Amino acid sequence: MRYLLFISIVLCCTACSSSYKALQRTEANPSCVKKFKPAFATALYTTQVDVIGKHLSGLLIIKTMPDSSVRIVFSNEAGFKFFDFGFGQDDFKVYYVFDQMDKKAVIKTLRKDFELVLMRHLDAQQSYTAKESQGLYHVFPDGRDIYYYITDGACDSLIRMERGSKRKKVVEAFIQPGADNVPDSIGIRHYNFNFDIQLKRLQRDAQ
Amino acid sequence: MSSLVANAQYSGYKPVADAAAFKVQFAEASKKTNAIKSDFVQEKNLSLLAEKITSKGKFWFKKDNLVRMEYTQPFQYLMILNGTNVYVKDSQKENKVSVKSNKLFQQINKIMVDCVKGEAMQSGDFTVKVFENSSSYLAELIPVDKNMKKLFKNINMIIEKKSFGVTAIEMHEPSGDNTVINFVNRELNTNLPDALFTIH
Repeated sequence: MRYLLFISIVLCCTACSSSYKALQRTEANPSCVKKFKPAFATALYTTQVDVIGKHLSGLLIIKTMPDSSVRIVFSNEAGFKFFDFGFGQDDFKVYYVFDQMDKKAVIKTLRKDFELVLMRHLDAQQSYTAKESQGLYHVFPDGRDIYYYITDGACDSLIRMERGSKRKKVVEAFIQPGADNVPDSIGIRHYNFNFDIQLKRLQRDAQ
Repeated sequence: MSSLVANAQYSGYKPVADAAAFKVQFAEASKKTNAIKSDFVQEKNLSLLAEKITSKGKFWFKKDNLVRMEYTQPFQYLMILNGTNVYVKDSQKENKVSVKSNKLFQQINKIMVDCVKGEAMQSGDFTVKVFENSSSYLAELIPVDKNMKKLFKNINMIIEKKSFGVTAIEMHEPSGDNTVINFVNRELNTNLPDALFTIH
């Protein structure tokens, strides 16, 4: 019983704590993060997904199309396709999703995760930069979601990406930069439930 | 007219005059195949993206329903189908599942084993049309089940005329994407130890 009480207090404190309480607005220009926006001509990644105790692996291809939209296709190693999403300038299109994944919440979560990594919200009108001990938080609101890009104080290096609300972090993403502004690896971790995505760039030397 | 349609659909192929006779011959040859050892080259073609993902590996099959597929390039991935159990090992984790509890594996398992064993044509899961050119037969399998239809528009088996062995499996999706597995360096009825298919 005491244990349950302790857990409840911890959960309550966690829920009430704010990830962004210490942020203080600055005059810095948030658009400095545009230089970190990944440029995927075509990139192939080995992919590991861990979701609520289940493990899934496969290959994920990210390609910028001639109309500058970005397509992301995920299939397992044997070629079985899980999803095919298109990220246009102002729209999002589901070209295909496997029946068992065809749930509004799943698609919405994946869309927002990839939008965070693709840095699709850098033109948000009410963007601003805030300061915190770790560096600068470049903040791009999109409705109730806020996309945070955290850099060093000089905006010379991107430390991590986050999505959350004004108070609470929901997702964190890390990018390991690679050649030609294409990330070598990408990690996405959710804080509201167990859902991790790990991408590692694959050199297509078998082709 | 149907011949023209068929020729347009599969360049160089024409419908087989006696499909029933072909099926009997193919079933006879399949009965005699107890084991297959082969290399494979897999191509995933993403039509709208104009992209091709190529991977390579080794394939083993042993009657009745043992399959081992080991991808070696450009990634490491091992899949063993042993009856109703599936073992999967990727670069980070290994996983054992029962096909009974996983619909996806159940479907892939059945297609894979049925195609390799030559039973897909008799299973009743597909409507079958057979075409031929000078060296190969092409068996076009169209799924009957509506859930299977969502996954595959048709599955084609390319069968070598001289041996009635399956040399390629093409899985065509409704979107126009496809996965083609070509089997090369095939060895039939070699002695394959059961340990290859053991799921620990």
